[in-house]
Amino acid sequence: MREEEARERARRAVEIALAAGASDAEARIVLARRFNAQARGERITKLDASDGRSLSMRLFLDGRKATLAGTHWSDEEIRAGVTSALEQARYVGVDSYAGLPDPCALPDRRLDLYDESIENRDDDERLDDVRNVERSIRATDARIDNSNGSSYHDACVTMALANSRGALGSYRGTQAALSTSPVASEGAYRRTAHYGDASRFLSRLDAPDAVAREAVRRTVAFCGATKPPTQTTAIVFDREVAAALLADLFAACNAANVAVGNSWLAGRIGERVGSDLLEIYDDGTIPGALGSSPFDDEGVPTQRTTVFERGTLRSFLFDTYYARRLGARSTGNASGGGIGPNTFFLAPGKQTPEALVAATARGILVMETIGFATEHASGLYSRGARGIMIRDGELAESIEEFTIAAPFPEILAGIDAVANDLKFDGSIAAPSFRVAEMQVSGSLSAP
Amino acid sequence: MANDPLTAQGAQRILDRALRDGGLFADVFCECRSTVQMRLQEGAIHEAGFSQNLGAGVRVVVGESAGYAYTEDLTEERLIEAAGRAAAIARLTAEGSVRATRLESLERARDALYDRARTENAAPALLAALLERAEIAARASEPRIVAVNAHVVDELQELWIARSDGSFRFDRRPMVTLGVQCIARAGRERGTGYCADGGRTSLDFFGSTTPEQLAREAARIATVNLDARPAPAGEFETLIGAGGGGVLLHEAVGHGLEGDFNRRGVSLYSGRIGERVASECVTIYDDGNLPEERGSASFDDEGTTCGHTVLVERGILRGYLHDELNARLMGVRSTGNGRRQSFRHLPQPRMCNTYMPPGDVPLDEMIASVRDGIYAKSFAGGQVDIGKGDFVFMIAEGYRIERGRLGAAVKNATIVGNGPDAMTKVTAVGNDARLARRHYTCGKGGQYVPVGVGMPTLKVSAMSLGGTEGA
Repeated sequence: MREEEARERARRAVEIALAAGASDAEARIVLARRFNAQARGERITKLDASDGRSLSMRLFLDGRKATLAGTHWSDEEIRAGVTSALEQARYVGVDSYAGLPDPCALPDRRLDLYDESIENRDDDERLDDVRNVERSIRATDARIDNSNGSSYHDACVTMALANSRGALGSYRGTQAALSTSPVASEGAYRRTAHYGDASRFLSRLDAPDAVAREAVRRTVAFCGATKPPTQTTAIVFDREVAAALLADLFAACNAANVAVGNSWLAGRIGERVGSDLLEIYDDGTIPGALGSSPFDDEGVPTQRTTVFERGTLRSFLFDTYYARRLGARSTGNASGGGIGPNTFFLAPGKQTPEALVAATARGILVMETIGFATEHASGLYSRGARGIMIRDGELAESIEEFTIAAPFPEILAGIDAVANDLKFDGSIAAPSFRVAEMQVSGSLSAP
Repeated sequence: MANDPLTAQGAQRILDRALRDGGLFADVFCECRSTVQMRLQEGAIHEAGFSQNLGAGVRVVVGESAGYAYTEDLTEERLIEAAGRAAAIARLTAEGSVRATRLESLERARDALYDRARTENAAPALLAALLERAEIAARASEPRIVAVNAHVVDELQELWIARSDGSFRFDRRPMVTLGVQCIARAGRERGTGYCADGGRTSLDFFGSTTPEQLAREAARIATVNLDARPAPAGEFETLIGAGGGGVLLHEAVGHGLEGDFNRRGVSLYSGRIGERVASECVTIYDDGNLPEERGSASFDDEGTTCGHTVLVERGILRGYLHDELNARLMGVRSTGNGRRQSFRHLPQPRMCNTYMPPGDVPLDEMIASVRDGIYAKSFAGGQVDIGKGDFVFMIAEGYRIERGRLGAAVKNATIVGNGPDAMTKVTAVGNDARLARRHYTCGKGGQYVPVGVGMPTLKVSAMSLGGTEGA
C-alpha cells in the first residue's frame, strides 16, 4: 500500500522532528510514478519512466519557522535534515503569526481525482498515442514539414500529510497530458507553435488527432504574418492567452504579495476594479479538475472563494500565515511553501469565441504572448504578441512582432465580452474574452 | 558526502545492464545537492530552509533516442532496475550495440575555475548577517523605500558521472547568490528595483561585492522606476546596456544555436554555418571556463570538458552548442554544453556563459549619437521563439534619449524584436564590455540551469518598444 506507507513516513517524520526539539512540525510526502514519452517523425525519441519520492517539512521553534526539503527518507536521514533546519531556525525572527493551522479533521471528500486506467495503462498504448499525434500533425496540413516532437506524459501521485496537531491524511491523483510542437517552413523561418491538453482522466483527454489539428491550426495561422502598425484597438484574448493573463492577476490576488505591498490590488477589497463581466473564483472542489484536492499543502480543506464579483474585488487568496496576519481565514491556497491557485478561473459567458470575433468590428485576436515579467506592484501588463487582425467581424491577415500593453485596472475595466470556451485544463483557466481598447506597439507607419 | 555513493565497480555493473539490450552510449549521473537559504522581509528573517537531494539517473542513447530512469534510492539493486527501465528504448529502436568500456578510476576535477575544498554549507549566522546588512543599507539609502526583500542561497553540488566510453569523473561545484529587492512608493505609485550577485564561490565573495552595494543599487533602481514615466509605444533607435544587456545575445542568438534545434532543422540558424547572420561588428562566444561564473564547470553534466565556442565571428555564423547526443548525430564533438537541472532530468544542449568582446565606442559618444531613442540599461528577463527568432525583453531600468541626451526614465516596458533582424541592425559596439552580475537562470524544456552573460553597450538602429503611450 503506497498510500499507507506515505502516511506512515509523514507521521514518523513529525515524530522525529518533535524528538529533535521542534515545538511543532508538519511533513508532506509526495510519491509519484511518472511516464514521459516523446516521438518525432517515426521514432520514439524519449522514454523516461521513474518512481520518485520527496519529503517537505515545516518546522516551528517557538514562533520561528524553518523548512526542510529533499530526498531524506530513513529515520537517520530525516533526523540529520531536521537538525540542520532547526539550527537555521534560531536565526529566524520570532513571528507570532507563524504556525500550523488550527486543528481540524482532514476531509475525506470524493473529488474524482484518480483514474485507475492511467495507473494500469499499457506502455504500448501510451506510445501509440504519442506516435499518433506525431503522425497526425504531418497528415493534417502539407505545410507541416518538421516537428519539435510530440509528447505523452502521465503521472500517478500520492500526497500524504501529517502534523503535530494531529492532522493525518492522504489522497491520490492522476494526470495525463498530450502535446505537440509542429513546424512549418517559410523561407528561412520555421513557424512553430506548442499546443496540448491535460486531464485527470484518460477518457476526457483530447484525442491525438484533435490535439494535432489544434496545434497545426496555431502553427500555420502565422505563415505570412506581418508587423502591424502602432495603434489602439480592441483585443480578443484567445483562451490560452487569457489563462496566462489570469496567472498575472493571480499574483496580485496572492495575499503574500498583498501583505508586503507588492500588489496593485493591496487595500482595494470592496472596490470596483473591473467591468461587470469580471467574475473570478478560486475553487479546489470542482470534481475531476486538475486543480482540485481535498485539502491544501498545509492540511486546510479547500473551498470555493469568490475573488471578483461583477467587477468588485471580494477576497484575496490566503494560506494560514497570511490569513492570520491580515485578519482573514485561510482560503485553502497553501501550495509548496507559498500560496498557489486551486482552480483560479474567469466565469464563462454565453457566446462562442467565433461569435465574439464576429461581434468585433475592428481588433486583434491575440493567440500567443511571450514575456513574463509583470510588475505586480504597479500592475503594468506588457507582452510581445502574435495574432490575427479582425476587420468587420472577420479574421483577416495574421500579424506578429508587436506588443500589447496597458495598466491592469484598465484591462479589467475594459472587458466587454466573455466567451463560453472555459475548460479546466490547468490550475488557472479562462474563456476567451475581449478588452475594448489596448495600446498596440508595432511599426512606425500609420494604418 | 563522506563517501562516494558510486564506485567504479558498481557503475560498471549499472552500465553493463544499461547496454545489455542494445544502444550506443550510456551514462550514470549521480548527484548530491545541498542548499541552505534564508529570506528576509519586513525587517526580519522570515524563513530559513535546508534542502538535500540525492539521487541518480541512468541513460541509454540509441541514435536520436534516449531512454531514462532515475531513483532516489541509491542501492545497487534499484540502480540496476533503473538501468533496465532506461534500456527499454533500445528494445524499441533495435539498432546499435556496444559494450561498455572498462571504467577508469574516479578522476576528481582539479582546475582553478572555483574552490572545491568546501564540503559543508555555510553557517546560518553568516547568511543571516548578510541579509540584515542589506536591509539596513537599503532603508538608509532612500527614504521612499517602503519594503525590502532579500534572499541568500548557498549551494554545494557534488556529482559523479560514469560513461560507457570509460570516463568516470567527480566534481564539487559551489554556488552562492545574494539578491535584494526594493519597493519604493509615493502615493499610489510604486517602483521596484532588484539587484543580485554571487557565482560559483563562497559567501566570502560578499566581502568585496558587499550587501550594502547590492542594496543601494536595488534601492536606486526602485526610485528611478518610481519616478519613471509611462513608456512610449513604437520603433526607436535603442542602446542596450553593457553587462546585463547580454541577455539579448542569450535570447536573440544563443538559443537558436543550440544543437538540438539545429540537428532537427527547426532553428532559423539551421544549416547556415559560414553565412552572415549579423552585422560585421558582432562577435559572440560561449565559454564554460570563466572563473566563478554561474555557467562555468570543469566538465558539463555529461562529463565532457567545457569549451570555448565561437558562435558568431564578425557577423559570420561559426558554430553550434552541443551535447553528446546531438554532436554524435551531426558528426561533430560535444562542445561541453550538455547540461541538466538535476538527476531527475535528461541533458540538453544549453549555453554556459555567453558574451561579446568589446568594440571601441565610448558610451557617451553612443548616447550623443541618438536623436530620439531608448537606453535599455538592464533587463528583467527575456524569451525567444527559436523558429522565427522573435524575442521579448522586459526592461528593468530604461531611459529616453532625446537629441543626444539622456532623458526621463521609462516605466517597465517590453522590447520586442527579431533576433537575426536586430543583429544586422547593430551599428555600434561600446568599449565597455563586462560580464553581468551573476544571478541569471535560463529555462528550457522545463529545466532551469544557471548561466552567465556579458556584453558591451550595443546600438541597434530600430527596435519596438511596447509602451502604453501612443506615439
